Amino acid sequence: MIAGILAGLVFFSLFAGQLPLVWLAAVCLGVVLFFLLAGGHHHDGVLTMDVYARRSRLCRENAAFKTGVSLVLLVLCICCQSPVPPLCLFVFLSAVTVAAGGIRLRTYLSLLTLPGVFLLLSGLTLLWDYTSKLPEKAVLYLPFFGGWLAVLPAAQSLAMLVLSRALGAVSCLYFLSLSTPLPELLAVLRRVHVPAIMVELAVLIYRYIFILLATFRDMKDSAASRLGYRGLKRSLRTTGLVYGGLLANSFRRAGACFDAMESRCYTGQIAFLTEKKRVTAKVVGLLVLPVLGMLAGVWFGF
Amino acid sequence: MTTMEKKIMSFSVAASLVLCVPQTASAMHIMEGYLPPAFCIAWGAVCIPFLAAGVIAIRRLVQQHRKSILLLAMAGAFIFVISSLKIPSVTGSCSHMTGTGLGAILFGVSTTSVLGVIVLVFQALLLAHGGLTTLGANTFSMAIAGPLLAWGLYQAGKKLKLPKLLNVFLAAMLGDLLTYCVTSIQLAMAYPSAEGGFWASAVEFLAVFAPTQLPLAVIEGILTMLVMIGLETYAKTELHELRSVKRGLFR
Repeated sequence: MIAGILAGLVFFSLFAGQLPLVWLAAVCLGVVLFFLLAGGHHHDGVLTMDVYARRSRLCRENAAFKTGVSLVLLVLCICCQSPVPPLCLFVFLSAVTVAAGGIRLRTYLSLLTLPGVFLLLSGLTLLWDYTSKLPEKAVLYLPFFGGWLAVLPAAQSLAMLVLSRALGAVSCLYFLSLSTPLPELLAVLRRVHVPAIMVELAVLIYRYIFILLATFRDMKDSAASRLGYRGLKRSLRTTGLVYGGLLANSFRRAGACFDAMESRCYTGQIAFLTEKKRVTAKVVGLLVLPVLGMLAGVWFGF
Repeated sequence: MTTMEKKIMSFSVAASLVLCVPQTASAMHIMEGYLPPAFCIAWGAVCIPFLAAGVIAIRRLVQQHRKSILLLAMAGAFIFVISSLKIPSVTGSCSHMTGTGLGAILFGVSTTSVLGVIVLVFQALLLAHGGLTTLGANTFSMAIAGPLLAWGLYQAGKKLKLPKLLNVFLAAMLGDLLTYCVTSIQLAMAYPSAEGGFWASAVEFLAVFAPTQLPLAVIEGILTMLVMIGLETYAKTELHELRSVKRGLFR
């Protein structure tokens, strides 16, 4: 709701003075409706993105190839000097993730609102400047404590560029994270010689996240059934104690895990089996076009 | 003031009050693609020495005590889990802890920075908080600057013989606040305001994010304090074990 109002305000200041009033109102209304309908920040399943990645049809493709191309696209996207190529990239990669990956459109849109609040709040800061005397070119202005808060055309174009680059980059990130399960990415990191101890830690952390989340769910349910979350003060206390209990529990579990590993001849190295996946023509065909397009976009700067 | 000006003023106050209650107040991660390439590289470079020190310390520790890698992994998973869970807050919005202050107090700075990087990568890929290009900047604010201050304050408070819980509260709260200030400064450096330059922009970013981040810092402090109470009550032996591991880390 509030994100919706905020979004309306940001888009109003972004396009004010550039579009006729009817179009301006239509854009703002569209954005507000999008946030109202697609919004929603779920906490039931913390790791929903991991589940989507495993369900995606693109999950069968080679992880190293997907990672490499996504990183190249990311770099090209933030190097762009005009908002057009990143926006095209955003549309294209979203379509790939939804159509070729088989993620539901509604899910994808609701995931897009996750970084929304940051984008909107900082967009507001980029757009509105505080000045002591009113600049002549200001498109919008408000009096504010003896000075003026004003929107300038230069700030509008900067905000447009930043907004579109962020959208393009988020679509790259989502393409990668909604098609590649984390363990496969960690295997890629191991192959590019990230320090072994870090990869090993990351793999163990990934496994323990599920254990801790399950334990946490039990603890929270039992605390809630004893009315532990009635009122702010009590729920703060309960939350703190549950977290403390969770940490203590996790240390105890680490001890048990170590004993189990030691009894299975653990010598300081953990070896994992990875499934070999080939680079198929399909994924190459899908990704060649955006890479070439972005290269052209950065090179010619349009 | 004329009536028109009064109307505008009251409208702007009302608007700012409405905007002060956003729905999601997670720790302030700079989102994917938000920073220009030069800043991504620069902030990444700043982090390298800290991470190298952390990796060397952890590697040595694991060679001595093989069990400690499991303790560290559990700690990393714990930081990730609490940063993804909703905590109770004043306005009824969704907030999340950073957990790095707690990490710094329990495990020290260099270890927390390595765990922090891993957790930030996980957050970017699994929760869409933060991103890969902004990893360097986020690492500096969340896994280095915040924990460094929290750890320093905690040690100083110990020397000054502050009451333990107050000390934990202050360290975690101010560590969180520093994270938010550093992030605002990073944003202002990347996008200085056209009229007022860097400082005007920094003040603007600080002001816009203050309503969500200030209460969050206080709540983070309180929760860290409560977690410490819980640990002291229920996990005396584990805390002892942790201390011996930490001593191994600094030797």
